Amino acid sequence: MHETSIVNSIIKTLELEFEEEKLDKMSAIYLKVGKLSNIEPRLLHNAYTAKYPCGTKFHSIKLHIESTEIQIQCEVCNHITSVINYRFLCEKCDRPSKNLIQGEEMLIHKVEFED
Amino acid sequence: MSIEKSTKAARGSVQCENTNINLLKANDYVADIIRNEMAKTKTLLINITSSAGSGKTTLMQKTAEKLKDKLTMAVMVGDLETERDAERIRESGIQALQIVTGGICHLEAQMVHQVLPEYNLEDIDLLFIENVGNLVCPASFDLGEDYRVTLMATTEGDDKPKKYPRMFLTSDMMLVSKSDLLPYLPFSVDAVIKDAREVNHELEVLQISALKGEGIDAWCDWLLNKIKEKQA
Repeated sequence: MHETSIVNSIIKTLELEFEEEKLDKMSAIYLKVGKLSNIEPRLLHNAYTAKYPCGTKFHSIKLHIESTEIQIQCEVCNHITSVINYRFLCEKCDRPSKNLIQGEEMLIHKVEFED
Repeated sequence: MSIEKSTKAARGSVQCENTNINLLKANDYVADIIRNEMAKTKTLLINITSSAGSGKTTLMQKTAEKLKDKLTMAVMVGDLETERDAERIRESGIQALQIVTGGICHLEAQMVHQVLPEYNLEDIDLLFIENVGNLVCPASFDLGEDYRVTLMATTEGDDKPKKYPRMFLTSDMMLVSKSDLLPYLPFSVDAVIKDAREVNHELEVLQISALKGEGIDAWCDWLLNKIKEKQA
């Protein structure tokens, strides 16, 4: 159920952002989803195909999903740590941090149109 | 069956647009509208999340009993089916409306916004959204709340914060519920707090039993403080 909601949000968001004429020419959507976003790329692909089977308007759009690792940047020493096992600690100075710089995003970061 | 090779030559041109739009932009837009409305009416909005069966509705009943003479409280409760929870909460003498999601496993800002006109927000100091029992997707949907409170029942096992990190990362308060059962369960409060704070070091924690009353005063004090801050 979660994935179908996400597919609906993607299309709703793009409909708000672009005019219909332009949407008709859309050929690819590039998503960037963080490990913390609770989005599983394979399930999202399945949900997309289920929602837009052959013959429907958005079926031919290619969906690319990139999954990103969790990273925090220490507020004190500025060191960037890749978070492993959900321990949100700076690996250099051992301070806890919630300053996420990557891993939480759910972005439509690029779309392609074809003439 | 053979795979047909495409003989079509590449045609047209590919235009590319860098968008970087949040995929839940539509949800977050509505969440901001809710937040603005709540700021106007000075209503404290709390989003209650947890697994199914961790005691959200019982906590709502207990909180209503404790606070209904001091302030006006209301609840909106999300479930896949039935109106049972809203009925239970109404028995405590407060306004409660049920959102039946019809199979959707979380509440979205749009659903909350649709129900808001049913409440007289000017008169309501504290509005709870009792989310669908689920530690996964409700974490991703901002409902315009001031605070997110997650119940973590002792019967669930103390390993949940690391299994469902995003929920604990986005919460402001963790209520370790059903504490009256601690003597009978292999559940370590220290272990659950340690794991939860590794995910979110700012997370506040209270230990409660809605059934026996432990920690309910501290919980109500926390709420009263937040209401005071909001109405200041």
